[in-house]
Amino acid sequence: MPARFLDPEEAVALVEPGSTVAVGGMQLTAAPMTLVRGLIRRRVRIGRLVTSPSASLQAELPIAAGLVDEIVSPYVGFEHLGLAPAFRRAAETGTLRILEIDEGSLTHALHAGAGGIPFVPCPPGVDLTDIPRVDPELFRRVVDPFTGSEHWAVPAIRPDTTLLAGAVADERGNVALDRFPFTDREMALAARRLIVEVEEVVPAGALADRAPGTTLPSFLVDAVVVAPGGCHPTEYPERYGRDEAAIVDYLQLAKDPAGLEDRVAELVAESEDAYRARRGGTS
Amino acid sequence: MTGWSTSELMAIVMARAFDDGEVVVMGAVPALPMAACRLARATHAPNLEFIVGGSGTVSPEPDRLPASSCGGDLAPAATTLALPDVVLLEGRGDAFDVFCAGGLQIDAHGNCNLIVVGDWERPKLRGPGTVGLPFLPNTRRSIIYTQSHTPRTFVEKVDFVGGPGHPSGPEQARPYRKEGPTLVVTPLATFDFDATGRMRLSTVHPGVTVDEVLAATGFIPAPGPGPTVTPEPTDEELGTLRAIDPDGVLRR
Repeated sequence: MPARFLDPEEAVALVEPGSTVAVGGMQLTAAPMTLVRGLIRRRVRIGRLVTSPSASLQAELPIAAGLVDEIVSPYVGFEHLGLAPAFRRAAETGTLRILEIDEGSLTHALHAGAGGIPFVPCPPGVDLTDIPRVDPELFRRVVDPFTGSEHWAVPAIRPDTTLLAGAVADERGNVALDRFPFTDREMALAARRLIVEVEEVVPAGALADRAPGTTLPSFLVDAVVVAPGGCHPTEYPERYGRDEAAIVDYLQLAKDPAGLEDRVAELVAESEDAYRARRGGTS
Repeated sequence: MTGWSTSELMAIVMARAFDDGEVVVMGAVPALPMAACRLARATHAPNLEFIVGGSGTVSPEPDRLPASSCGGDLAPAATTLALPDVVLLEGRGDAFDVFCAGGLQIDAHGNCNLIVVGDWERPKLRGPGTVGLPFLPNTRRSIIYTQSHTPRTFVEKVDFVGGPGHPSGPEQARPYRKEGPTLVVTPLATFDFDATGRMRLSTVHPGVTVDEVLAATGFIPAPGPGPTVTPEPTDEELGTLRAIDPDGVLRR
């Protein structure tokens, strides 16, 4: 079935309040910010937020808006630009439940979710850390039935909804990812519902020469949102760079916790069209 | 040669520590280890390969040092691994030689902590999270680097082990452990580790005194043969490094 083309408001209305939402993109690249801003405008409560191995604004902004109950993430921060102020404060004041996880366990758990594998034993490494000790919900001991040795295991992760930023969709809603794949494919394949924002739409058949592993067929895609420049202020490689000034502005704004939820609401108040026009570009 | 910056010296010290043919992995904010890898490739280790964080790019050579580990400026690289493939290989444990890592806290046995200062339940400072650091002991060896050499960074024992260093007690049998951390590079000094896995002062950078280093270190390093003075950059090293870093990212 062809994917539906929706505007951001319609697309985020598909997300059930209190459900598990995964957000793609990594570090300061390819965060699905149009969809994230839409969720915040609608004030959709996120029961459990799952990120890629390293998230920035796609996790920080919903936390700053006071909309996240729990997070599963190996990293929330802004690389050379600094720590994530709302995430940090929520952790330090105990207003956000953190399910500690590392990059390896998360990636394998998503893969398990995509493949119907109920849980997955963790490779060596995490057993030497304090992570399993503080996260008994995600880390349990299992015995290898072949050798009798004990290992940590994590349950499969199946997001109720995954939000991704892709490069293009064809007219039927087949999607291509034009950049480093990060864990976006695993998040897409593990999702019960997949919403993708794309930079542009191309004619049906135009993705025929894409290599396997770089595309998602429309039958996996529940909704496509056309959002040129929509990852702003994060970057989309080969289309536009990061707007570091805008990121730094946000980090300044988020320093003071007083009234932050309202200021974040103001930040995302305008429509995506207006936001794009104000930035003064086609992208 | 004079006129070098501390970060340039750190990159040069790290570059010298790489062996030809090694495969190096690094994480967020990759400018320093990436400069070191490229310098090593341009000098004594032409067959070294390095993987830059979440991008999965293998030995990229952009015109300028990148700020982010996932940005489009890392492309094109000769080859790129999908990140889940990097994760698989980190788990396999015999694909990568050196992991370059750091932490909010680094302890006397080379454990790294990017998660939390204070109690995990009631953090004094919540860090970003541990990303791939649990794979540290799964790589043949690791090199620890930090721009912050203070008693708050260098502690006797980290508050939370997110990146395992050397085992510090008999209760911690680690059958698959490899060499563990072999070198620590800071703005003041370099450390190595004694046979018990405790950090010892190896060199102090030119112009820095041993007392300054000890005052900035929150534990007493193990006795060792050193310290000596970190050898200054040669003209060749600095010239090559500056061609890799034309914007002077390492001079800021």
